[in-house]
Amino acid sequence: MTAATNQHYDLDPEIFARFLDPLRKYSSGLFDADTTSLEQAQRRKLSFVAGQLRLLGGERILDVGCGWGSLLLFMAQEYGCHMLGISPAARQHAYIAERVADLGLEKLVRTEVAQFESYEPERGGFDAVTMLGSVVHMAPLDAVFAKIRRALRRGGLLYLSESCFRSAAIRAAYDDRPGTEFVRHSIFGSGELRPLSELIAGAESAGFSIRAVHDLTSDYRRTIECWLENLRTLPDSPQRAELLHYLEIANAGWGYTTKHYALTCQKSR
Amino acid sequence: MTLAVSTTVTEIVAAELGRAPESLRPDTDLRAVEGADSIKVLRMVAKIEQAYGIELEDDEIFGLTTIDQVVAVVDKAIAREQG
Repeated sequence: MTAATNQHYDLDPEIFARFLDPLRKYSSGLFDADTTSLEQAQRRKLSFVAGQLRLLGGERILDVGCGWGSLLLFMAQEYGCHMLGISPAARQHAYIAERVADLGLEKLVRTEVAQFESYEPERGGFDAVTMLGSVVHMAPLDAVFAKIRRALRRGGLLYLSESCFRSAAIRAAYDDRPGTEFVRHSIFGSGELRPLSELIAGAESAGFSIRAVHDLTSDYRRTIECWLENLRTLPDSPQRAELLHYLEIANAGWGYTTKHYALTCQKSR
Repeated sequence: MTLAVSTTVTEIVAAELGRAPESLRPDTDLRAVEGADSIKVLRMVAKIEQAYGIELEDDEIFGLTTIDQVVAVVDKAIAREQG
C-alpha cells in the first residue's frame, strides 16, 4: 500500500533468524499430536499448502509477499515447482538470493522487489498463487483478487491465509483501539485486518470458486507461543521489546477479536 | 470476426432456441426471439465455452444481445486463452 508497509519486514534479518524457525517462515505453522517443534509445524504447513494446491510437481507458482522465501524454497525443493516471489522488502530478496545459490535452485526460484498493487503478473502465467499473511497489507481487495485471477490459468488455484477480525461487529468495536493502532502503525506501517466474510466477498466478486476454508487460529496461537519463547531468551533490545509487545497483543486476541483462516479458491466454473 | 466461429456460434444458438440457423441474422436481438429466456442464454454460453475450451468473463456474458456480440466475446476469449 505504501513504502511504510514493510518497515517491519525490512528490520535487520538477524533478529528474525533468532526467533523464527530455520526456514524463517513468518506465518502460522500447522500442528498435530505428533508435531513437537516449530520447524516441523512449519514444514507441515507448507505440505498442507501444497496439498490445497494439489501440486504434482513442476507447477508455476506466484508467491505474493514471499517473506524470507520459505515457501519458494520448499516448493522448489520438494515439488520442483517454478517459483516467482514478490515482496517490497529489499532485504528479504538479498537473503533469498543467498539461500537459492546455496541450494542450487537458480533455475527454479526467482524474486522481484515489487508492490503487488503496482505489479502486473503475466496473464494466465501461473498454475497457482499463494498469499500467506500478505493480503492484510493490500487494498482495495477487489483489485487484488481480480489481478490474481488474471494471473492464473483456467483451473488454477489460489491459497490465501490471513488473520481476520472475528466478525464485522468486532471490527467496528476494535478497529481504533490502542492495541490495533499499535500493530497497524508500529508493525505493519499499514494494514487492514478484515473479517473473513470480506475476503470471501472479494474472491467471489472476482469470479473465484471457493473450494475450502480452514480455521488455523489455534495453530497460529501455538506458533506465536514458540516465537515468544525464543524471543524471551534473547538479550533485551528495543526491537525485541517491540516484537514481544506485538506478539503478546496478537496472542491475546485469538478467538476473541481475531481468527486466522486459510482460503482455497479456484479459477473455475 | 472469424467466419468459422460465427457459423458454430449461430448453430449453437439456433439449437438452443429451437430455430433454424438460417432464421438468425448476426444482428438479431436474441432476447426478442420467441421462446428465448435467460436460462437458454446460459445454456448457450456453457455450450460455447465447452466447444472452444474457453471461459467468458461475467461482464462479457451478462449483456449479450446479438450473435455478433457473442462471436466478438468468443474471439476475445480465444485470443486470451492463446496468450
